[in-house]
Amino acid sequence: MSSISFNERWRRSRFISGEKASDESVALNHRRIFILPTQRGLGFLALNLLLLLVAFIYNNNLTYLLTFLLASVFFVTILHSFNSLSGLVLHKGHSKPVFAEEAAGFDIHINNPAPIERHNLQLTLKKTAALTLAAHSKGLVTLYSTTEKRGWHEAGAVTIASTYPLGLFRAWSPVQLNLKVLVYPKPAGADRPLPESSSIQSGQGFNKNGADDFYGLHEYQAGDPIKHIHWKAFAKGQGLFSKQYGGEKPTEIWLAYDAAAGHIEERLSQLCRWVIDADRAGIDYGLSLPGHKVAPGHGPVHSQKCLEALALF
Amino acid sequence: MRSKFNKSVLIFLLSSIGLIVFPHVYHLPAAVLSFFFLILSWRFIGIWKPDWLPGTWFVLLLTILGVGLLYSQHHSLLGRDPGTSLFVIGLALKLLEIKTERDIYLITYLAFIVAASQFLYEQNILVGVYIVAVCCVLFATLVSINSLRPRTLPALKTAAVIIAQALPIAGVLFILFPRIEAPRLMLLNEDHQTKSGLSDSIEPGSISNLGLSDELVFRVKFKGALPPPAQRYWRGPVMSHTDGRLWTQSVHKDFNRFLDKPKFTGASYQYTLLMEPQDKPWVFALDIPAEYHSPLGLNANYQLISEETPGKRAEYKVTSYTQYNTGYITKTEYHDATQLPGEPSDRIKQLVRQLHGFDSPPEIYIQQLFNHFKKEDFHYTLTPPLMEENPIEAFLFETRYGFCSHYAAAFVYLMRVAEIPARIVTGYQGGELNKIGNFLEIRQAHAHAWTEVWLQDKGWVRIDPTAAIAPERIEQDVNVDQQVASGIVTFVSPNSQKLVAFDWLKQAHQLWNSADYSWQRWVINYNSMSQLQLLSSWGIQNAKAMLYSMIGLIALTTAVLSWFLLHRKPKKTDRALRLYNRFCSKLAHQGFARSESEGARDFAERVKAKLPEKSAQIDQITDVFIKLRYSQNSGPEDLKQLHRLVMLFKIGN
Repeated sequence: MSSISFNERWRRSRFISGEKASDESVALNHRRIFILPTQRGLGFLALNLLLLLVAFIYNNNLTYLLTFLLASVFFVTILHSFNSLSGLVLHKGHSKPVFAEEAAGFDIHINNPAPIERHNLQLTLKKTAALTLAAHSKGLVTLYSTTEKRGWHEAGAVTIASTYPLGLFRAWSPVQLNLKVLVYPKPAGADRPLPESSSIQSGQGFNKNGADDFYGLHEYQAGDPIKHIHWKAFAKGQGLFSKQYGGEKPTEIWLAYDAAAGHIEERLSQLCRWVIDADRAGIDYGLSLPGHKVAPGHGPVHSQKCLEALALF
Repeated sequence: MRSKFNKSVLIFLLSSIGLIVFPHVYHLPAAVLSFFFLILSWRFIGIWKPDWLPGTWFVLLLTILGVGLLYSQHHSLLGRDPGTSLFVIGLALKLLEIKTERDIYLITYLAFIVAASQFLYEQNILVGVYIVAVCCVLFATLVSINSLRPRTLPALKTAAVIIAQALPIAGVLFILFPRIEAPRLMLLNEDHQTKSGLSDSIEPGSISNLGLSDELVFRVKFKGALPPPAQRYWRGPVMSHTDGRLWTQSVHKDFNRFLDKPKFTGASYQYTLLMEPQDKPWVFALDIPAEYHSPLGLNANYQLISEETPGKRAEYKVTSYTQYNTGYITKTEYHDATQLPGEPSDRIKQLVRQLHGFDSPPEIYIQQLFNHFKKEDFHYTLTPPLMEENPIEAFLFETRYGFCSHYAAAFVYLMRVAEIPARIVTGYQGGELNKIGNFLEIRQAHAHAWTEVWLQDKGWVRIDPTAAIAPERIEQDVNVDQQVASGIVTFVSPNSQKLVAFDWLKQAHQLWNSADYSWQRWVINYNSMSQLQLLSSWGIQNAKAMLYSMIGLIALTTAVLSWFLLHRKPKKTDRALRLYNRFCSKLAHQGFARSESEGARDFAERVKAKLPEKSAQIDQITDVFIKLRYSQNSGPEDLKQLHRLVMLFKIGN
């Protein structure tokens, strides 16, 4: 269908879809909205020509009048098509970092400040989502874009389009919202255990009887005290774990670039997996990459820092 | 898109299709229509019972059936009727295959073609309005499938708004789009609408019931004064040959008079004739026409003839006189106008002698004859007894019941017995005045027959023997509606009591007729000639000027439309917002910018923390603003207060 090929054409011609990307919200106006007849619109024109011919052959004034009315409807629809997008304000919302090859979701807020309803707005990134906005209302659409590599992933232009009211014209606007998301490396399979850091020799010093210091998690086994169950993890559906407490502060591990095998991406994948595992195990871990070190620690902020370092390595 | 369409979309679509084909019940073969409505009903049921719809093979079978039907009914694909049937059958078959959105569009487009075909049959206002209304439903279908949640009424409203907005440009195009008449060869509508009208001959004895119909024949709009009712004779074919029963036109009617033309005196009447479609080339001018234009011509009997058979409505401008002297009589005319089928009977001769036909001047004889009709027991009736044998004698001596053609035939016969040239003129007499549009409507019921007698020094003189027996037939109006209703003629004077009761009804009727007249003249009959006239009266002389003014007018209309459509007036409540924004910008100058996500209350709290000395004012403004925006019982007083507060609000010094 022509609409898709138009889409692609616009995507390719960067200089047209490239109203400068910015973090600001984008209001659609005559500079940004494009309108062309759809295939159906061209069909409608052909119909008009046929009717004109009939009117001419039979010299029939009412057929002329009907033809002119339809032609005029076609013409007036251009204004309505413009009106279906004009004045809408788009701005980007949050997007959470994802692991490579996962789909990144981009929230897009659409504000309709005008006193008219906006029907069947179609927002396209890779796939299309449609929504209808009432007068003076706001809407939120999440568009997904599949990621391939780690690093910054830029989604590119979002196309907002509408064929309302008659489907004879398609009004569209490619909008650069500076949509980007940090993509972490794809975590490797869980077949390699956490590296044994030299500082974890004191494994024999585990005090199973549970003094005050939280040590880590292990899978729940029958007989573990109920108050040691890690309810948060259970609530998240991660499974049943028991908290372990050590009498002495557990030593930290280092997740080192050199400890992983393979080429760069494989190593980063492996490190990524370890960061996830270590985070889940609740032990302190540090990340050591050539030229970059993240001091040991734990918690979501720490893991995010590590994953960022991996993504941007 | 999957084949699952919203039910309301399908109901919309199928209903509009049914509506669009419906008026064709008057024109299309019953077989084609049954085929269509059968499939339409089938499809309708299919909305709720999709399994009942025919499969591929059955559709193929139906297609073959449809093609066969088309061939059996029309034997052709060209022309109006076969073409219309083709599209109707195609539409029906397409209905069985609604899988994608594309199918719906195709069906809608086909429906537009069928809608246009309606106009090839009928062109009155009602059909026009009807078709536009159905187009509105068709567009509403398209609106429905282009919105996520189709709703019936808003879709209809949107479609209606679009059509209303499109009308001005359509009007501009209609007036200014260059009209080129299609060459005759391209005219495929070979089958003209045949309308009953005056016939080539009259046979007074054999018709026992004069067909009365209120079918319109023509309309006349006078420039200036109307002729008095007794002068409204609309001249048609002249019958001068008779075999005793049947009266026909003479074969010598197309010769040219090389000597005197008629000498006209008295007032002239300029008028525009709008003839309804005829199957004869006759144009009914008032009395004797003096000026007329191509394609009109006058035959030897002063009857206007159109060179083209007006199979459709045609408009003519004519000037006539009701006082004239046609001058001498040619030998042929004399011969034709004194022709008798045989020797008159003794009874007739006796009557002529008794009325001094043989021994006094024609004027006296005519007067005597009129007196005879009045004195003796003659009656005017629209349902005379049959007179198979020798109708003139039977009428004169036995039945004495008849209408205009009986009197005209008997009168002419008696003139000829006295060797005075006389002939029957047929046409229409009178006409109903439409007071709103100030034009005359002449209907079939106004058909009339009168006579002409050639008198020395006067030429052909119009004499109406019916006037002798029923003068009100001539001087007053025939009440066509009542005639048609009862079959009995009545004559009404304008101030009759009965009429007053129906006054408003009559006025409404006349208003409608007037609108119809304007419609016929300005819409249906608008052609290259009237376009040229209209445009040159506006100073548009050539094709270039026409194109420029068309583009200019469309641009102007579009500009006006865009302004209305795209310009959004700030809402009333926005005044509160504007005032509040002014307040915010005052704060922003001092470094307190309100972020977009920050509510008025939060913002106030934040600013108050920094500007404790302004707390009271900030609270006041915020409260009034919130009241204005969100409370039902806020009024103009609050707006004024907000205005005052914001104006007074100052910071920084």
